[in-house]
Amino acid sequence: MSWDQFIYFAMGALLLWGTGAALAYSPARKIVSALFTLGGVMLFFVFIAGLWVSLERPPLRTMGETRLWYSFFLPVAGLLTYLRWNYRWILSFTTILAAVFIIVNLLNPDIHNKVLMPALQSPWFAPHVIIYMFSYAILGAVTLIAIYYLIQGKRIKEPARIMEMTDNLVYAGTACITLGMLMGAIWAKEAWGHYWSWDPKETWAAVTWIGYLIYIHYRLKRTSSNKTAMVILIIAFVMLQICWYGVNYLPSAKQSIHTYSS
Amino acid sequence: MKNSSRHIWEQPWSYREGILIAAGIGLSGLILQLFLGNIHPTLFAAPLNLIIGALFMTGLLAVYLLARKRPLGRWLTSVAATLPALALFLLLSIFLGVIPQFPSGSETALPDNLFTSLGWYRMTTSWPFVLICFYLLLILGLTTLRRTTRKQEWRDIGFYLNHLGLFIALLGGVLGSADMERLTMRVQEGQVEWRGTTATGALKELPLAIQLDSFLLEEYPPKLVVIEHESGRMLPTERPESYMFEGVGKTTDLAGYTVEILEYLPHAAIFSDDSITRVVPMLMEGATAALRVKVTPEGGAAPKEGWVSNGSYLYPHSLLRIDETRSLAMPLQEVKRYTSHVTLYTEEGHTRKSLIEVNHPVMMEEWMIYQYSYDDTMGKYSDTSVFELVRDPWLKVVYTGIFMLLAGALFLFFAGPKKSRT
Repeated sequence: MSWDQFIYFAMGALLLWGTGAALAYSPARKIVSALFTLGGVMLFFVFIAGLWVSLERPPLRTMGETRLWYSFFLPVAGLLTYLRWNYRWILSFTTILAAVFIIVNLLNPDIHNKVLMPALQSPWFAPHVIIYMFSYAILGAVTLIAIYYLIQGKRIKEPARIMEMTDNLVYAGTACITLGMLMGAIWAKEAWGHYWSWDPKETWAAVTWIGYLIYIHYRLKRTSSNKTAMVILIIAFVMLQICWYGVNYLPSAKQSIHTYSS
Repeated sequence: MKNSSRHIWEQPWSYREGILIAAGIGLSGLILQLFLGNIHPTLFAAPLNLIIGALFMTGLLAVYLLARKRPLGRWLTSVAATLPALALFLLLSIFLGVIPQFPSGSETALPDNLFTSLGWYRMTTSWPFVLICFYLLLILGLTTLRRTTRKQEWRDIGFYLNHLGLFIALLGGVLGSADMERLTMRVQEGQVEWRGTTATGALKELPLAIQLDSFLLEEYPPKLVVIEHESGRMLPTERPESYMFEGVGKTTDLAGYTVEILEYLPHAAIFSDDSITRVVPMLMEGATAALRVKVTPEGGAAPKEGWVSNGSYLYPHSLLRIDETRSLAMPLQEVKRYTSHVTLYTEEGHTRKSLIEVNHPVMMEEWMIYQYSYDDTMGKYSDTSVFELVRDPWLKVVYTGIFMLLAGALFLFFAGPKKSRT
């Protein structure tokens, strides 16, 4: 499987996800829309697996490859949320966001080759990046909910229920970024000699983590406002974007050892 | 309990006091920073870090025992105290993540500007950063202690794993950083070395010695690129293409040319004078990889045939000229793996044979030995291996915290937030 075939798998998956998202609004049963979404997820995964085999290394090294996993996990997060919380709009949100990242990958493909530098040849590589991409997808879904909440304003019907869903997703997402970060720390000790070096990528991972900790602790106080909580989520997601790729454009990036894209 | 009906500093305290106290700690740090400059981590090596740790723990317990029933003690474990402290730490971390950092202890002159005075070029050893860290640790410790006094339920397992785990990892990391030693050691094949070099260039004798039996470096297959003569830039400029060798007889499209691989010599010698270049197979030190290729431009121009090589310390690289402005070139091969076969000796007379490579360090006498580098001017013919030796006596403490946090994160994932909030 090579990158040239991506467009067919991506379009097929988007078609299935779009159908699933549209069916969620129709009177059709929940399972129908879930099956379409699942079909898209499976089709997309066939491409990832094929790329993995043909590259002879986990496709997790370049930014484009991480975007690939992100577009894969977004509908997964959307589907789980839909099945658990029944909000019809969540699938269309995650489909649109997945489409954005697919389009970025189509317009701006990375150079993909088999090279995997020695520092990345570790059993920690795949779990560390995959769990991060999964948490980014969950937290991306949460950000969409936060934006939806703020735009709808007073029209929100069941604010308490939406907050409960948001809390659940943030707890799951934060748990995953904690796991990803600590696996990274243990790996860094094996590869670079220290578990935490305040490398710019590590610093921004900590910043992102603290951002979500602030949300979690803010929500513990009963007098907290829902709106402020949602704003915190959007700010935390901006930090997450900086951690993921924005950090490459910062003055501190010159010193980063976390750079692997050609 | 409406906040607006009370004056500031009047109990019960809330966010306002939290913001003021956090700001006050930041400001005190700033004043210390302006007068004293950055903290020198080496000054806090054992036993001073142990004393500070003991004092901090005593202070923490004293505050807890004296103030736990008082409003101040309650407030210190509240969200209103936690969030401003976290927010200030977040702010300093953002500066840390944006501003390039200079290693502590190095003699490089810092730029002459405000950031230097504020300590922001060495944020992690600046007073505001360290003080906020300890303030957060105080809140974290008190909150954990206070939780023990209420009726325990199963959800508290998650609370303790996360809060106590973070407390242990953070305190161990902060105090232990002064005791950590990192040295590099260059060893030549067949030689024994027992002295390491610190970051400042000082030599240090170690309780162990490394003998380099052999050093091996494996490379990925060679790649081909089309470059512009004048600039040496790879083409197409906006998205350079490259082709990794996959076998003789293969054909590929590369930057608008069709390239056919005719012959591959993994070990070649190149003899050239003004008129002629001869490439012959030769299994020897310093041999280079070479590919004989046929390049056909688009649009039916005559194809070019010849050798391309990336050279070695013995031979210069050779290009295949395609036309007036362009050539086919072979960049240096990327490194796949490098390994040192070593014999390790201790002062007590223990001997051990080991294999050290990236991601596979070896532990000996409190020291973790890492494959760090090699002589890159010699590439795969390097007979020198560079190791990094790291000693971190506090690692077990930090790992205890990290593993508690890992378990806590799993707990958080499966248990989720507390259900009833009424």
